[in-house]
This record gives sequence, C-alpha cells and structure tokens, in this order.
Amino acid sequence: MSLFWIVIRELAEIQAMATSKKVITRVEWEKKLNDVKVRKDDMNKLVMNFLVTEGYVEVAEKFRLESGTEPEIDLATITDRMAVKKAVQSGNVEDAIEKVNDLNPEILDTNPLLFFHLQQQRMIELIRNGKVEAALEFAQEELAPRGEENQSFLEELERTVALLAFEDVANCPVSELLDISQRLKTATEVNAAILTSQSHEKDPKLPSLLKMLIWVQNQLDKKASYPRINDISTAALEDSVV
Amino acid sequence: MSEVTRDLIGDHFLDLWSKTRARKPESDEEEEELPTELDPDSIAGGFAVVGPDRLSVRYPNVSLHDHDAGVVKANHAAPMKRMIYYFEIFVQNEGAKGRITVGFTTSAFNAHRQPGWEESTFGYNADDGLFYNGQTSREAFPTFTAGDTVGAGINYATRNFFFTLNGVMVAFFDKDIKGPVFPSVSVHSHFEEVLVNFGQRGFAFDLKAYEAEERFIIEEKIGDRVSVPQNADHGIVRSYLQHYGYGETLKHLDISLQSIMPSISAAPEDGASEEDTMYAFNQRRTLRQLINSGKIDETFSTLGMWYPQIIEGDSSVICFMLHCQKFIELVRDEKIADALWYGKSELAKFMNSSAFGDIAKDCSALLAYGQPKECFVGYLLGDSQRELVADAVNATILSTNPNMKDGSLCKYPALERLIQQVTACSLEKRSLKGGEGEAFRLSRHLNSTYKA
Repeated sequence: MSLFWIVIRELAEIQAMATSKKVITRVEWEKKLNDVKVRKDDMNKLVMNFLVTEGYVEVAEKFRLESGTEPEIDLATITDRMAVKKAVQSGNVEDAIEKVNDLNPEILDTNPLLFFHLQQQRMIELIRNGKVEAALEFAQEELAPRGEENQSFLEELERTVALLAFEDVANCPVSELLDISQRLKTATEVNAAILTSQSHEKDPKLPSLLKMLIWVQNQLDKKASYPRINDISTAALEDSVV
Repeated sequence: MSEVTRDLIGDHFLDLWSKTRARKPESDEEEEELPTELDPDSIAGGFAVVGPDRLSVRYPNVSLHDHDAGVVKANHAAPMKRMIYYFEIFVQNEGAKGRITVGFTTSAFNAHRQPGWEESTFGYNADDGLFYNGQTSREAFPTFTAGDTVGAGINYATRNFFFTLNGVMVAFFDKDIKGPVFPSVSVHSHFEEVLVNFGQRGFAFDLKAYEAEERFIIEEKIGDRVSVPQNADHGIVRSYLQHYGYGETLKHLDISLQSIMPSISAAPEDGASEEDTMYAFNQRRTLRQLINSGKIDETFSTLGMWYPQIIEGDSSVICFMLHCQKFIELVRDEKIADALWYGKSELAKFMNSSAFGDIAKDCSALLAYGQPKECFVGYLLGDSQRELVADAVNATILSTNPNMKDGSLCKYPALERLIQQVTACSLEKRSLKGGEGEAFRLSRHLNSTYKA
C-alpha cells in the first residue's frame, strides 16, 4: 500500500478517535433493527392514512377491501376535498376558491397566505392564457392591496408581475411560476388547509415519519458511526465510511 | 433460496405470533417504575408525617428553627424514558407560616431543608413564590396557599423543570441536575398539610395538551430543517403494496398517479429493486386472497403446484402455520368434530416440539370454550391471524426468488425497514444522551393529533 493511503487511513483513525464516536458494526446494528417489532396493522394504518390524506378515494376503498384496514374517516368526505385539489391542478382556480368556500368559508378567512397563493395562481393562469390585460387588472385590484398589507406578499406579487415583462417567458428568471409544479404546490397547500380545518382529520403521518428519520440520523451521526439509510425509497442500509 | 433462509423467515413470523400471545409491554417506557406514593422512610428527622394512604403529608411539631423543614420524597424517582413527567400537590392547609415547597431532589438529598435550599434540588415555595436551586433564588413568582393546586414537572425534550399553579404554567427553568430525581414536598410550619397526586386522579393542568403541543413544536422544527426527496412517500407506498401483493390497490394507485405525476409510475429509479418487490406478484396475490377467505385446503394445493419446495416434508413453520389456520377455520365454521379430527391427525405431530408446542396448545384450547371468541385465545379467530399467515406465505415465496440479493428483504418491505431504522436510531440517540427523553414509537406517532 502506498504511503499516501497509509497516511490517509491514519488520519481517518485519528479523526474517529478525536471525535470519539461510538462505532456500531453492521451485525450489531442489524440485530437492533430486528429487535424492533413493527405491527402489520400499524403499517397498514400508515398506508391508509397516506391514501386518505392525499385524497385517493378509490385506492383507499380497494386497500380497505384487500387489507381489512378501516379508514379513520368517512371516505365520502374526501371527494369534496379532492374536487378542490383537482380544480387547482387543472388551473381552474376560481372554481377551486368557490368550492373551498362552499366547504367551509372560514378556511380562506383564517389563511391569508393560502388565499394570496390562490389569487397568485389565478393570475399565473391568466398570463398563461395570454390574457395580459386581465392579468394586470387582476393584479391591481386583487393582489396589490394584499401586497400592501404584507411585505412577503409584495415580493411574490412582484415576481408574478415580472412574468409580463419578458418576451420569452419560458426562459426568464421566474419561469418556474408557469410550471405545473407550481400548480401542484398550491394544490398541496389547499389540501393541507382543508385537512386542518376538518377537525376529525389526522395529519399526514408518512411524510413526518420520513423527516423524523432523516433528522434523527443526522443527530445520531454526531455521536455514533453506524449503518445509515441514505436512499429512502429502497431503505437499503449503507455501511458508514469512517 | 436456501432452506436456511426459509427457516429464518418462518422463525420471524413464529416470533411475531408469540409476541401477540404474550402481549408484552410495547416498549421499555412501560417497564420503568413510577412514583405512586410518598415514602415515609425518606423523611429525615421526623419533621413531617405521611398520612396512611401515603398521599398526604403534614408538619407535626411547632418549629423552633427555620432549618426544621420536613421533606418527603416519592417512593420512586421520576421516570426518564418519556418526554414529560409531572405530578401535582393540593394545599389542604397553609398552616401557620405557609412555607410549603414542592419540587425535585436527588436520592442523595437527605436533609431537613426545603427542596431548593441545597444544590441539586429544585423547588417552588409557597411563601415567597421564589424558585430555589442550590442557593440561587430567582425573580418572584405567584405565591400559593390553601386551596391551590401546584404542579411540578420535568420536560426532557427541552431539559427544563416547569411549574404550574391551578392549571396554568407559571415558569420553567434549566434542569442541570443529572441523574434520577425524586418528586418531593416539604412542610415547614405547624398545621401545614398537603395532598399529593401522582396521576391517580386527573390533573388540574392539561398535561395531554401540553405534551401534544411540545411534540408539535419539535415536529415543526424538524420539518423546517429537513427536506425529503420529492415523491419518496409515493414510492414507499407502492413498494409496500408490491411486497404484500395488494394488487387491486396498486393498480388503482397507479391509475391515480398517472394523471398527476406521470413520472412516478413509469420508470422507478431503481429498476432492480422493483423486480424484487414484483417477483411472483400474481401468485402471491392469489395466495393471499385464498388465505383471507379461509380456503386453506386450496392454499395447500396451490402451493403444491407452484412452490412445492415450501411445503415439502410437511414439517416447516409454514406448514405448521397453515395447518393451524385450517384448524382455526374449522372452529370458525363450528365444525367441531372435523376440527377435533384435524387436530389429531395434523397438529398432533407439532405438539411435542419445543418451538411449536405452546402455540399449538393455544389452538387446541379453542375447543375448550363454548364462546371461543371471548377467551384469551380468541385472537386466533380474528382476521389479523389470517393476515399473519398470508404474510408468512408471502415472505416465503419472495425468498424463492433466485435473483434475490438480500434475504432480509423478504421479511421486510422498505416501509418497515424505515420504521425500524428511525426507532433504532432514536433509541440509540437516547441511550447516548443519558437515557432521558422519549424515543420514536410508531403507535404513538400514529395516534398523535394536534390542532395548531
């Protein structure tokens, strides 16, 4: 082995000792993992919760039949929420706003940020359809007053108006506003707000579990060296590099 | 794959079955001793008298010196393996001078002074509303007297002591005392009397709401600092459905996803792992449906056709589980004579084995009861038992995949591995941090609700 690599290895070992991290081998760690007994019905509940909060009604129904898991809420109430989400995803923001108010007028009243984002999306759709004049008028009448109340709204408003300034919208600095993902972002926000307002709903458990995993691994990294899961979708264990 | 892997898989499910029977406490949090009453032996110098129910304490003599406080501790230290510990006192009688103090002391503390006067102790004093810690007194807080309910608690997440008065949070302070601490009360003048509540009765302070709020704050903080790859959750749910063979659900999920996120169902990032989870999908799905409808004879014949190696020899764990299930199904259908005959011919050979004996006895116990559903082995008649058997068969079929890289993947879908990892990391982190605080627990995570 070359001198270079010998030195590197020595340095790594000194580093490990200096930070005095506890080293847990793969074998030891696998045993700890296997000692955690996860109940099948808890996992089923987690999946059902995911399907319900995302609003996949038919899928939840099938899952209930195939796994025997009961959803926490009446599946019929999801369809209303899904109609709103779909409306936003297809760019029919006015329709979505009407539906939200039909469901519960308090949602938009108590969520100024959400309402602003919906109005912003409305403006984006007008611009997308080439209705420049209508977009400007809309910005002046509906969005500018909100912008005056709140600094961050103003910045968002300016970004949106900027779309009108460019000939080649597809390549301008704010082009992402025209992207489908912007609609999805707004749709997710509306979905979450409706979920929160429906007091018998539970919040989405799977995303928070995944965040918890990433976070706790980062925390544990400071004190120990152990096999990590770096790729969440495969959940494959990777030995840590000292 | 090899016999060895199949046995390991079988053992895993047998183990799961045993855990259901034994109904062991879910985690170590339930194994810690809790303070339940006051400990008269903890009183130094006889300056306090504990009532016969051990949930009250009063000052016995007229005091002569300021030093003669009667301090009593709880019978156990506050548990550490949780996020918050809390107890309350009710001031029955403020006595001559109203100098009751409530707080925490260490096991070494053995003086007749109020909690707080010494270092490594902490107390909230009725008389001057001052918190004492060692010898530092701090700014004044509300005083308390007869009729008041005072609470003292430890928040391991924020490393604080906190105190409440009549259901309202009063203050919190850094907890820099290491090691176990005991709930403690002191009385210091004639006629002072205090009742203690270690949770046997409801608290004036809404502890559950406080816990939910604290958990929410932590989750929010994590949420702000951490981001998860886009659509990771969809991928995990799909692989879960693939792993267990939930075909209809998977089909409909893919349809829904197609319209929203065409990228997700089209080409999964890791083609290899998709092959593994989809291996023998239709066969596994069919067998699950058979088992869920209780058609065990058909299950045996279908397995014999497709995967004879699994039931060869009729002595493996899978065979045992299937025979038991057949027996259970007969009992379900109230075909008692048939069940008896089946038990004698097929289950008997498992009775003497050390591995299967106890479980097999549970099955035969079903016959002893007129109302089997209500007895302690009633769980066998439930759907979850069918599901356990279906899961075992599922995993065993997955193990026959000749391209399978990692044998353990048969047992666990990605979702389960993630849950195990977050739990194990959380437990390890706690043990490296002095064993304090609550570790991740899936059942608690599933049941938490908080409205901001």
